[in-house]
Amino acid sequence: MIGPLLELVARRVESADVVEQAEETTNVAFEAGRLKSTGYSQETGTNLRVLAEGRVGFAGGTSGGPEDLLEAALASARVGQEASLLLPAPAALPPVRVHDAHVAAAGLQELIALGVDVAVRLRRDGCQVSVSVERAVGSVHVANTRGVDARHAVTSLALAAEVTRVQGDDVLMVGSYLAGAGWPTRPEIESLVASIDRRVGWAARAAEPPSGRLPVLFTPAGASVLLMPLRQALQGRAVLQGISPLGDRLGLEALDPALTLVDDPLLDGRPGSRPIDDEGVVSRRLPLIDRGRISAFVYDLETACRAEVPATGHGRRSTFGRPQCAYSNLHLLPGDRTEAELLAEVADGLLVDELIGVGQGNVIGGAFSHPVALAYRVVGGEVVGRVKDAAVAGNAYQLLEKIAGLGSEVEWRGSLGLPPILLEGVAVAPR
Amino acid sequence: MKDRLRDALRRSRADFTEIRIERSWTSAVTFRGARLEGAHAHLDAGGFVRCLNRGRGWGVASFTALEDLPAMVARAHEMSLAVHRAEPIVLAPVPPHEADVVPAIDGDVRGISLDAKKRYLEALNEEMLRTDRRVADTQAAYRDEVTEYWYGNSDGTLLYELRPEVTLSAVAIARDDGAVERALESVGLRAGWAAVQGREGQFRAAAERAVALLHAPQVRGGTYPVVLDPKLAGVFVHEAFGHLSEADFIAENPQAREMMTLGRRFGTPLLTIGDDGSAAGLRGTLPFDDEGTPTQNTVLVQEGILVGRLHSRETAARLGERPTGNGRALSFRHPPIVRMTNTYIANGAGTRDDLLDGITLGVYACDALGGQTYLEDFSFTAGHGYMIRNGELAELVKDVVIGGNLFQTLERIDGLAGDFRWNQMGGGCGKGGQVPLPVTEGAPHVRIGEVLIGGQLP
Repeated sequence: MIGPLLELVARRVESADVVEQAEETTNVAFEAGRLKSTGYSQETGTNLRVLAEGRVGFAGGTSGGPEDLLEAALASARVGQEASLLLPAPAALPPVRVHDAHVAAAGLQELIALGVDVAVRLRRDGCQVSVSVERAVGSVHVANTRGVDARHAVTSLALAAEVTRVQGDDVLMVGSYLAGAGWPTRPEIESLVASIDRRVGWAARAAEPPSGRLPVLFTPAGASVLLMPLRQALQGRAVLQGISPLGDRLGLEALDPALTLVDDPLLDGRPGSRPIDDEGVVSRRLPLIDRGRISAFVYDLETACRAEVPATGHGRRSTFGRPQCAYSNLHLLPGDRTEAELLAEVADGLLVDELIGVGQGNVIGGAFSHPVALAYRVVGGEVVGRVKDAAVAGNAYQLLEKIAGLGSEVEWRGSLGLPPILLEGVAVAPR
Repeated sequence: MKDRLRDALRRSRADFTEIRIERSWTSAVTFRGARLEGAHAHLDAGGFVRCLNRGRGWGVASFTALEDLPAMVARAHEMSLAVHRAEPIVLAPVPPHEADVVPAIDGDVRGISLDAKKRYLEALNEEMLRTDRRVADTQAAYRDEVTEYWYGNSDGTLLYELRPEVTLSAVAIARDDGAVERALESVGLRAGWAAVQGREGQFRAAAERAVALLHAPQVRGGTYPVVLDPKLAGVFVHEAFGHLSEADFIAENPQAREMMTLGRRFGTPLLTIGDDGSAAGLRGTLPFDDEGTPTQNTVLVQEGILVGRLHSRETAARLGERPTGNGRALSFRHPPIVRMTNTYIANGAGTRDDLLDGITLGVYACDALGGQTYLEDFSFTAGHGYMIRNGELAELVKDVVIGGNLFQTLERIDGLAGDFRWNQMGGGCGKGGQVPLPVTEGAPHVRIGEVLIGGQLP
């Protein structure tokens, strides 16, 4: 409905942009190792933004005609913020793979077979296995009154698996997932299974928690606690509001020179991949931290306009509400040592895979303090058992100023890709 | 609409079919700092169908094109047939109900202009901004929703409900000399416009607290006697105990079932815990859950003994118990799963100060920024706290994170005050990708003899 909508809109307002997203998903879910349910969903939604008499308005809907949507957007603009809105002009789209013919064509039985394959591989005595597979096929259509009119087909396939083991009052939950535009490859599935197996195996024995300022190896899953403050502090909006601790450090060295953080929508087949963002800005690779130096912040159209900088292509829209500024595929470039080599360096410390309560509290400030959900005691470079009654604490910015080692393999969890990170002097306390 | 449901149910070839149709009007206003981020209104509508056949699994379909309802029923039936099961899925019986539930709303939000909503929130936001020059940033949000809801199933249940909701939230961010602190306040009600008027004090309180936290010391990590205020105690019971009571966790897991055996001691005889979806006037209150089961007060722990759990029709049948009306779905985009409604720790006796009495060095932990559990392990971030010194409240402290083991912590509850209250906050509960589901939590002040407080670790 974008064509008629834009024609109608162009007669009534100064400028406007719109994104229409259609998606059909099919999912299969296994509980306790057995297929439990299959599901289908269909949704089409349109999100419209207008600039009318100098004010911005938004509207969204899953049904209804162009007139209804425009009236709702005009009503929103009548009470909206006074603003200017510089829409991007049409430009050539860079190549990036966001659609996979195999995924698009896969039938229900093939999705079930994939789930069975993983469920069988993970089966073990005394453990419950749950697996889900979700396939989506859809399209994204972005257009504006300056002539941008880009439509691309997308697919995604997400595979999640979790093993639960309850022994007495002791509960172990170990999970992992894969997501991307394409069908997961055999090595990817094997590595997901091996990763769960290894962590369940390490937890067979319990270990006493260590105490003090210790070396801690954060797995890619565990390292998200270190990334979360950066994700917030590198948001152009936080810089504009004056609440980003990195806001006045653009161009300065703030972290260890081994750290390069890149947001890249042009990686093939990742969940955040796209040739153009939802506001019509053509995608490009953007280093945010370059060898420890703060090199960029992310902006959508609105925040870029207010900060008087170019938009970086981070506008993300859903059917309802205003565009948000969001990362595409955020990843740390790998280091030069394998996880095994990093582990070998830990004389006495922890391997942290999951913490409890990450994301609560004053995240942007960098300070964290969390009990461990899944962590292992490491002695003499060897994992000796699972540690339960312990908490780790620190400040992410300070800890990342000097790291002890960076792993050579980036593991992707959804649209966040991280290598293992070894840090010295992390506070660990038993409970 | 009821006729369309009846007709679609009659035509379904599945052994069991249920249909939900929802149409919801939402308006939302947000300010960030002095700047309006947006004010808009929208209509969202869609449907959900779930089918079950003997010896087969669930087939589910959700859709926004309501004219597709008959086709979606056929599709859900086909998807059910694609799942072969040796172990059948059985639903516990629920007597059929036909009901129209339309609560009286104190000021239907659909009759209030977007401009009036914007002006009210602007005034509340202004309260935060003018409190102190160190208030560097704010987030103020108003949101209302009125949902027309239809539910029908092939057992003969047919329901129509009007579900109103209104929420206000305040985030104040204070900055001084590089230190940044946040404070939150929110209110969420199943009510109308009138119920959220006069909230200036709450917004001011958020700003004042953010400023006060700037120069408050970090709590020193360690093990302390801790008194939880009713807000934090409510979040604690929801997160740490409530989720374990959801029977879907134990239904398929014999070892977990053993851990949660009815009759097991769960804390001292002081402790009674429950979940009451039928409590009047709360955000988690509903006449029926999203499987058409009437809600009820379900006692989970009676004087320290595990006596109940929360069920959907499926988990109730699996465990040979009765459905409790806890099969809830976030919206037509999701299937019902076992969820809480209004979860509580029952009242004790005496005052908060009685609980402080006798504590030489402890922490009074207030308000919750969040909580997460890893089943028997949990972590909660208090909004702020005070040291307790010689039985009295002393200095404000920040970064109060409480972590522990559920079983040990419940055993260590050694005092409950007689000041029970429901906390009608905004936000909501998350599980299985369905967030935020409206819930309420209630508790009195609770004393725990010994618990680990994170913060600055030695």
